[in-house]
Amino acid sequence: MKEATLFPLAFIIYIISAILYFASNFTRREKLAAHGSWLALLGFLVHNLALILRTIETSHAPFTNMYESLSFLAWSMVLALLIIEKKFKVYRLSAYLMLIVIALFALASSPLMPKEATPLVPALQSYWLWLHVSVTLVGEAFFAIAFIASLLYLLAERKQKPGEQLSLALSPEKLDSLSYRAVAIGFPLFTLGGLVFGMVWANVAWGSYWSWDPKEVWSLITWFVFALYLHTRLVMGWKGRRSALIAIIGFLAALFTYFGVNYLISGLHSYA
Amino acid sequence: MSSFIRFFTSVKVAITLIIILTVASIIGTLIPQGRSHQEYWLHYGQLANLLEKLQLTRLYHSFWYLALLLLFSLNLIICTLVRLRPKLKRALRPFLDFKPNELVALRFHHQFNLSLPLTSAHQKAKEILKDHHYRFREKDDEKGVKIAARKRIFGIFGSDVVHLAILTILAGGLLSGLVSFRTDLALHPKQTVAVPQAGFSVRLDSFETEFYPNGQVKDWKSTLTIVEKDKEILTKTIEVNHPLNYQGFMFYQSAYGWDWDQASLQILIKQASGQAEEKVVKIKVGEKMALEDGVEIEALRFLPDFVLDENRQPSTRSLEPNNPAALVKVTRSGESLFSGWLFARFPDFSRLHPGSSSALTLELKGYSGSQYSVIHVSRDPGTWLIWVGCFLIMLGLGLAFYWPTYEIRIWLQEEAGKTTIVAGGLATKNRENFAQELETIISSLRKKK
Repeated sequence: MKEATLFPLAFIIYIISAILYFASNFTRREKLAAHGSWLALLGFLVHNLALILRTIETSHAPFTNMYESLSFLAWSMVLALLIIEKKFKVYRLSAYLMLIVIALFALASSPLMPKEATPLVPALQSYWLWLHVSVTLVGEAFFAIAFIASLLYLLAERKQKPGEQLSLALSPEKLDSLSYRAVAIGFPLFTLGGLVFGMVWANVAWGSYWSWDPKEVWSLITWFVFALYLHTRLVMGWKGRRSALIAIIGFLAALFTYFGVNYLISGLHSYA
Repeated sequence: MSSFIRFFTSVKVAITLIIILTVASIIGTLIPQGRSHQEYWLHYGQLANLLEKLQLTRLYHSFWYLALLLLFSLNLIICTLVRLRPKLKRALRPFLDFKPNELVALRFHHQFNLSLPLTSAHQKAKEILKDHHYRFREKDDEKGVKIAARKRIFGIFGSDVVHLAILTILAGGLLSGLVSFRTDLALHPKQTVAVPQAGFSVRLDSFETEFYPNGQVKDWKSTLTIVEKDKEILTKTIEVNHPLNYQGFMFYQSAYGWDWDQASLQILIKQASGQAEEKVVKIKVGEKMALEDGVEIEALRFLPDFVLDENRQPSTRSLEPNNPAALVKVTRSGESLFSGWLFARFPDFSRLHPGSSSALTLELKGYSGSQYSVIHVSRDPGTWLIWVGCFLIMLGLGLAFYWPTYEIRIWLQEEAGKTTIVAGGLATKNRENFAQELETIISSLRKKK
């Protein structure tokens, strides 16, 4: 068995899972979403196996080039989805999150992404690679949950007429609180993986814990946006629409940190 | 002065400052930082002067960015201190002066009668609270008893710990900026160099580059020996990601380089006429060497990666030996026999360019420079503050998000052998969970044994 066969297999399972989730959302049949969730779990297990095989085949962490890192981000998002489903017993977000996962898979599968494994450059040969990248990306996956919950909040809020009880499974209040709960998980993880582990590794590899490298600055910007989210919410009592907008901006900043900085701005993080 | 402090206690000021810092930081990633004036001039034209005047080209070290950070720190200190006082009071002196109607006003509250005398009801309540790991204080009043119970009180300090952590990190950054020392040492094998600002020297014993089978660089390794007062203290091989730490000085494998200044060349000299006589001369750049019959050869220059620059002058593109070329002159009693560039990759070049033709044909057969190791040395006393700050920030976030403080206030009053109970609860986070726990506590209190 090879990673190259398991990766498309996981892709197909995720697509079927997404179809079931969407079918459940439109027909309002909870049962379909439960099936979708089982498939997401199955896809996740296959994806796990793919990542393990990739690690064995390349003999390094499975996130050292864009293809691997997209696959790992997708993995983190499915992990976050499964955790949120288990913890909060909600399926409505899953369909949209699966859509992001599928988009990441599609991007990773595109011929533009070189898939061949290359040996690690000296700077990446460190166990901090594992800690820094994996914890950061799992944190960002929870930001994605907050992003989806916030988008759905904005949609739900627009649909809801005053005094009317919504027929949707999730009320805007529930979406608002879900978004916060996701940030409450994602923010500490992002701080630990992105900033703390990042500084420790930078100090070991580059000789300085902070170099104002664009990727460092953008992770700080992402951190600032979520700090704003928390302060406006917890101290100033902002909720609902304004909170949702900040969470959306925060996720976009995280996405830019992950993706945009590599292609638009050059810096020390040129290899990832 | 008090209005000054009041201004800084506002969260709105904090939020405004964070937004300004965010926008400024974004600008700093859009304008390349720390480049030369020429580069900015080429890229931005007239605008370059303005950018440089506003310090947008070294934004993160600019006066105004530092001033923003200072204001932010001040705001953080004042905001935290102002909110810390009531919190400390809440933690150190549990609030017992509540009235029953205040408890009913709390978000989570219960009111009921228990057919037990006050003393047994009181005892039962205490036991149940203990079972749920609450600590409590009590106060008797004329009609009954008040209990203030709580758990995980440290949770309320989570945000303060995070703020302290940020201040620690900023202080670390400031300390680094003020007193850290950094330099790069270029060391040739067997070379010993005194480490600046340190009472010891460092010697490079050996330097090697390791390659993967496909030719890609795997690692650079320098074996360093610390020498103090002519005594060898320790020897360690450093590589990328594995620095050496000695007396607060860190030694990092940072780069490597080629030294071509004294490159040794091997030059093949062929007589064009008569019998094809061949001869290989070994010569160093800058040297002049006498051959037979009054012929002298001189190696003037060596360029590892020959290219003609914009002024059509020979120059080198890099220090990698991609297109090695040597400038050589051959004379006989002052009369020039040959003068020109020899290219190792293009041995026919001098023959095909008759401008330098003579009775001689020369070829650059071999060249060798020396490789040196670049060691980044740093002493940064700010670093340990950063690690303290990192520890505190994770501790604070853990407390703030996952160490929810629960408080339960209970008021028991006896009336004709029965006890009236009013209970109210507060939770900083995780309120659904707390509501459930309060429910459980109340229902076990109401249970008849």
